[in-house]
Amino acid sequence: MPEMTYLEAINTALREEMSRDPSVFVLGEDVGVFGGCFGVTQGLLDAFGPERVLDTPISETAIIGASVGAAAAGLRPVAEIMFMDFMGVCMDEIFNQAAKIRYMFGGKAAIPMTLRTPCGAGLGAAAQHSQSMEAWFAHIPGLKVVMPSTPADAKGLLTSAIRDDNPVIFIEHKMLYGVKGSVPDGEYAIPLGKGDVKREGSDVTVVATSLMVHKALAAAETLAEEGVEVEVVDPRCLVPLDQDTILKSVAKTGKLVVVHEAVKSGGIGGEIAAIVAEEGFDFLDAPIRRIGAPFAPIPFASNLEKAYIPSEETIIEAVRSLA
Amino acid sequence: MPTVGIIANPASGKDIRRLVAHATVFDNLEKVNIVRRVLLGLEAVGVTRLLFMPDYFGIIQRALEGLTGDYSLKMDVECLKMPLTGEQEDSLVAARLLAEEKVGCIVTLGGDGTNRVVAKGCRQVPLVPISTGTNNVFPSMVEGTIAGMAAGLVATGKVAPEVALTRNKKIDIYVNGSWEDMALVDVVVLKEQFVGSRAIWHERKIKQVVATCGEATNLGITSMIGALHPLPPADPRGMAVKVGTGRTKVLSALGPGLIKSVSIAEYRFLDPGERVVVETIPCVMAVDGEREVEVGSRDRVELVLNCDGPLVVNIKATMDAAARRGVFRCTQGHGSS
Amino acid sequence: MALSQEKLLELYRKMVTIRVFEENTAELFAKGEIPGFVHLYVGEEATAVGVIAHLKDHDYIASTHRGHGHLIARGGDVKQMYAELFGRKTGYCKGKGGSMHIADLSLGFLGANGIVGAGLPLIAGAAFACKYRGDDGVAVCFFGDGASNRGTFHEALNMASIWKLPAIFVCENNMYAISLSQELHQNIDDVADRAAAYGLPGISVDGNDLFAVYEAAEEAVKRARNGDGPTLIESKTYRWRGHFEGDPVVYRTEEELQAWKKKDPIERAKKRMMETGVLTEEEDKAIWEEVRSEIQEGIEFAKNSPLPEEESLLEDVYCE
Repeated sequence: MPEMTYLEAINTALREEMSRDPSVFVLGEDVGVFGGCFGVTQGLLDAFGPERVLDTPISETAIIGASVGAAAAGLRPVAEIMFMDFMGVCMDEIFNQAAKIRYMFGGKAAIPMTLRTPCGAGLGAAAQHSQSMEAWFAHIPGLKVVMPSTPADAKGLLTSAIRDDNPVIFIEHKMLYGVKGSVPDGEYAIPLGKGDVKREGSDVTVVATSLMVHKALAAAETLAEEGVEVEVVDPRCLVPLDQDTILKSVAKTGKLVVVHEAVKSGGIGGEIAAIVAEEGFDFLDAPIRRIGAPFAPIPFASNLEKAYIPSEETIIEAVRSLA
Repeated sequence: MPTVGIIANPASGKDIRRLVAHATVFDNLEKVNIVRRVLLGLEAVGVTRLLFMPDYFGIIQRALEGLTGDYSLKMDVECLKMPLTGEQEDSLVAARLLAEEKVGCIVTLGGDGTNRVVAKGCRQVPLVPISTGTNNVFPSMVEGTIAGMAAGLVATGKVAPEVALTRNKKIDIYVNGSWEDMALVDVVVLKEQFVGSRAIWHERKIKQVVATCGEATNLGITSMIGALHPLPPADPRGMAVKVGTGRTKVLSALGPGLIKSVSIAEYRFLDPGERVVVETIPCVMAVDGEREVEVGSRDRVELVLNCDGPLVVNIKATMDAAARRGVFRCTQGHGSS
Repeated sequence: MALSQEKLLELYRKMVTIRVFEENTAELFAKGEIPGFVHLYVGEEATAVGVIAHLKDHDYIASTHRGHGHLIARGGDVKQMYAELFGRKTGYCKGKGGSMHIADLSLGFLGANGIVGAGLPLIAGAAFACKYRGDDGVAVCFFGDGASNRGTFHEALNMASIWKLPAIFVCENNMYAISLSQELHQNIDDVADRAAAYGLPGISVDGNDLFAVYEAAEEAVKRARNGDGPTLIESKTYRWRGHFEGDPVVYRTEEELQAWKKKDPIERAKKRMMETGVLTEEEDKAIWEEVRSEIQEGIEFAKNSPLPEEESLLEDVYCE
């Protein structure tokens, strides 16, 4: 299996799907000549031409609205919103149009579109370029929400997202773009809604998403030295959510820590904790611990930003408190 | 008190000619600007009272609101008291009221259509028609400032009517023996079912044309007349044309950017008072460039050339005469008299 | 434009169908037989019919919350429409959508829409799909004067213009954005003026004149099919009913309404069709009778249709 970065894996999935299916096209701000703000769509314009790789005006509403219209008319748009923070600008098109059209029309329409967008803090980009808003979208029936943490998952999940007949919000983490890993060659599709146990362990379950998977794995290494075996579960998709994999793990360990970078309050961690409390209360030997960002906008200063983002140490402490 | 009336049509400048030809887009804010220049021109030559037609957009009110500080007007300004319908009818009512008020001059902003309606109501009050589009024959493309000054010179009596004014021709339309409408420039008989979007751009539908004038520099149906035999407004004659299969073909600029070859069956000059019978029935008649009159299958229509059209201010003659009389020479400080 | 007698009668019948459909809907709503919100198209019939007359099977339409007229003009089935208004299983959306979400993808009808101005970017996308496939399809978006103040209007017109999309943006300027009159909600008289800002032609037409709308749309559709890009048509019209059924309509005068009723698009078309011998008084009566019985059948069908099963509540949230 070739080694490649998370960014290259996404780029590869886009190329493969565009080659395979002529109805797939890419649109977004600076995705063409510029190759995308973070370089994710690099080379697509040369490979597929301006008819299939569209540089849009700075019009998030039109980008997503037009994607919904094109999808309703039978194409498979893959739209990029440059920063997840900009999704408020096109929210109606996402939650009132894309998400609901099928249901409102009695199942007579499909909106096979993918919306790719980078989330996450760590670049000193402050409050409007660093957020993780996945819980907004997981709250809306009709959308699927995907958050890959590794290059292989990024390729396999994006492939499935593009092929899916539903609108899929595909959330990339900008601090993961440079992370390397081995990625299966050729056609590789991971079904949406299947979680992945990233590390097996018997003592404490840590459910983590996106970048936090890596922090959880690093924490698990440290804790293993102390004799605490952590199982790291990556749901990969928030909608549909693989409850079985989470519950099975908690059944084994009896202890649960949920970690995400988004603000803790109202975050997806609360949902996961509630599911475990409802469906797996008997498995639990200790209270569930949630880790997320504090209830504040994301600060600019490096030390403040570092203090804001959930850290490996916080995860270690939470696990220790349960173990 | 030298008084001038002003009628600005907010509806001109955005019809289908923007789609079928390449006509100018004329938004209402530009009309507001033109009116400001007209008002400043009027005041500069001594007009002290202004009466204006209200409209939904408030062209004149907006113009007035923008004239502050150094540009503030001293003249009295009054809005005509009349109901608003948003239809052509408004311009007719306004013209009648202005004639009753015996204003010295009426400035119009609009196209041939607007002026036709004003001409129906203005009686002997002379007009200064300012074109707000590219597809007009009757109003001229003239700068608002100069048009305002010329209108003011006439209204204040600084230039005599015999120098400043020209009497225009018109075509009266009779349906089943009774007067129905009139045209300032041309009546075009179209083999067409409906008034529809009003403009004319399919040359094949033109069957007959009766025109008061026509020069090769015109844009519109009268360009056809100009191409056959130039007929200036000063010539007392008119012309009747039958379009169809004939040996004569003329290149005619029917609209902005819309140059077509039109086949002429016959044409003849008309003397004042001469009648032309409309031969295509049912039909739609375009009056001054816009489809306006729908003729039913049992109707009989006659067109008559007449010389009692509206008085129009010749802007160049007026300004030249004023200059020769020294009207523009400033005796003290800025401004005149 | 040369309209055959057959085509004229077809367009006329569609206007009549919209009128009768809507008048019956008003009555049924007043009696409490239709739940939710309904927004009626009475008085604006010429716009939908005049524009949609030019569309081919593979063209697209995005409609509004006031969408019944557009679907009828497109050849929608009044039985399924009423069934949807009544919330029945046999409705266009199996009772899941109601008046504001009726859609028929088989007719390229991308739905009524409960969000004012939402259709504009959708139709840019559908127009893009037509261009992408390289067929001669076009996409039409209907929206109101109120929607022309939304960002979607500006973003969609701009996008359609830069990409030369085969789109026709039809602004049904009925002079009110819910309760706010045009002079209070925008500082222009003609929405058509806004086209210039995006580099596309914008024209205003008399929206109560079927033939004026027909001609304008004919040229705009031709332009789109030829690959020359989008057009904005402003159709100046008036809704006879309130914004929604039950609206007390405190924001406009009875005189204004009566003045517009004198410009009834159906009466105007009828008058001219009679003058030119296309329609006789007897034929006109017959058309109204036929339409009324078609509408009655639709209502009966809806009333006799079953409610959706409760199990269907969770169906069609996602494609499988």
